[in-house]
Amino acid sequence: MIEIKQLAKRFTVENPKKLSEQEKKDPRLKGRFFHSVQNVNFSCNTGQVLGLLGPNGAGKTTTLRMLSSALKPDSGQILIDGEDVVQNPILARQKIGFLSGSTGLYGRLSGRENIEYFGKLHGMNAQSINDKIEELAQLLDLSTFLDRRSENYSTGMKQKVSIARAVVHSPKVVVLDEPTTGLDIMATQTVIDFIQTLKVQQTPVIFSTHHLDEVKELCDTVTVIDEGTTKFNGDLDSFSALADGSLHQSFLTTIGKV
Amino acid sequence: MWLVFRKEIKELLRDRKTLFFMIALPLLLFPLIFGGVAYFSGKAIEKAQTKTLNYAIIGAENAPILSAKIAEVDDLSQVNTDLQSGNETGIKALITSETVDFVLVIPATFSDDILSVGQNTLTLYLNDAGLNMVQRRLNKIIDNIAESNRDQAFITLGISEEIQKGLLEPILVDKVSTADKRENIGEKIGGLIPYIIFILCLQGAMLPATDIGAGEKERGTLETLLISPIPRNQLVMGKFFTIAFAGVTSAMVTVGSLFVWGVVLSQGMAIELITEFMGAISAVDFLLMFAMLVPIVAIFAAVLLSMSIYAKSFKEAQGYMTPLVFIVIIPIILAMLPGIKLEGIYAWVPLMNVALAIKELIKGTMDYMALIPIFLSTTAIAGLLIAFCIYWFNREKVLFR
Repeated sequence: MIEIKQLAKRFTVENPKKLSEQEKKDPRLKGRFFHSVQNVNFSCNTGQVLGLLGPNGAGKTTTLRMLSSALKPDSGQILIDGEDVVQNPILARQKIGFLSGSTGLYGRLSGRENIEYFGKLHGMNAQSINDKIEELAQLLDLSTFLDRRSENYSTGMKQKVSIARAVVHSPKVVVLDEPTTGLDIMATQTVIDFIQTLKVQQTPVIFSTHHLDEVKELCDTVTVIDEGTTKFNGDLDSFSALADGSLHQSFLTTIGKV
Repeated sequence: MWLVFRKEIKELLRDRKTLFFMIALPLLLFPLIFGGVAYFSGKAIEKAQTKTLNYAIIGAENAPILSAKIAEVDDLSQVNTDLQSGNETGIKALITSETVDFVLVIPATFSDDILSVGQNTLTLYLNDAGLNMVQRRLNKIIDNIAESNRDQAFITLGISEEIQKGLLEPILVDKVSTADKRENIGEKIGGLIPYIIFILCLQGAMLPATDIGAGEKERGTLETLLISPIPRNQLVMGKFFTIAFAGVTSAMVTVGSLFVWGVVLSQGMAIELITEFMGAISAVDFLLMFAMLVPIVAIFAAVLLSMSIYAKSFKEAQGYMTPLVFIVIIPIILAMLPGIKLEGIYAWVPLMNVALAIKELIKGTMDYMALIPIFLSTTAIAGLLIAFCIYWFNREKVLFR
């Protein structure tokens, strides 16, 4: 179970002249600060999948980066099983498996070495890393290319190894930032299947996406963020009930574009 | 920390491009450069010495002995001319058109009897801009005649051999150097060694530094690394040691190659001199030199890592690092200048003081007590820079630019 309460994060604007036209018009720009995330709330229970929706620049990635402890929130709480991990980022790192959309692999290491490295960084011993890699290789169908250098992998292979690397330490919560962006249909299916496996294993999953068909297929709850604020929080049924028939319409309703 | 170090080294060893620049290039390139320069300059000098030169003499009849001696030489070939000594334009045209390499003008007043005419002046026309040995080759002949003329004059005047010496060189200064061979050679090459080693360390550390800072950002692996449960300072130190290790290894490989190839190319001729010189430097001095290098390499590694992690891409990182080479070169070049000693203000200029101390150690004239403040101040700077690097790695603004 993971709960996010009143999360906020602002960035200092170093050079106001460099901001894009859109950023200059954004109401979140206040003086020297850009309040990227102002008030984000949601929660995800055991065995649930939460879809995080929002237009580009809404603050999804910033929110997920705070969840992963890469960024430190200015205020708010992130509770994993009741423990506040904002104060203890190392705990967050142990409990969360994070995969960002723009992630890469160390090209000169093989897929196995990439996964091993992060297993070791998580303090796992060689035996448990090996067992886990075997398990993940079965699940994600990695065995044919796991021992080759990852610089020669296809996008799909890279994504599979990245997923394995993100969950090598058996995290309590899995956070995925646009995991299917830029993938072909087969690779996308691998990611979707993997999320379903996690669901079966009762691991809560939070993922951001722009594909509403994925939301329909996978999610139990939906959170919509716009301009750094939670605009909608609820289960999939009440989200689709916001408009007749189409999830796209529901989404536009929540951000007030209808 | 060592986990990060081991992984970075493993990646480094698998990177053919970096390895090539770090190891293969110094192993092969330096002998090629030095050997090439030595070969071609040797060729050029040999050619200038043995090439047959065409010449013309104006007023040969004024100095028959001299003219005959010049005509005797095999690789000088006379071209006849009816130009007169006053016709400078004609003489110049003769040389410009490459009909002759030089023209010697002997005045009508020329005489072998010094006592009657005093000093004789010959005029030598030649194109002196390029490499040529005209004057040296000519002097060999002229000096002989001049000397015999002089001896003849002394005999005529009846001057004893002792007085002759006094007349030729009234006061002779006999120089006795108190510097031994080591100090002598040390002064000449001692400044060069820290220069080579510093620059090599910096260059060798640069490629891996771009790779493990900006490279991680560019490939998208940095974020994942930052959210793994390893304390940030250990992460920084792992990367820091990789860069420092690469810098030292690259410098040592290059110096080793330089040394080995130097011995090979000089075909053992200089080996006695080198072994004698190296033998004079005690093991303690070698150790001290190495110890002085440790904080220097640490400074380089910390600065490079800070630059690299700040940069958004490989290209940006290289842009930051190139001016660093120039900044580092200045104090070391100053230390190479003759006459600059490890005293006063120079003892407090970072990098320069270490370069000077290494020079003193090579010369064997080091005041060992002076090493302590240099070592401590350099170590303090290195420590501060490492601390800055760790602080830098904790800044969200640096990591997510």
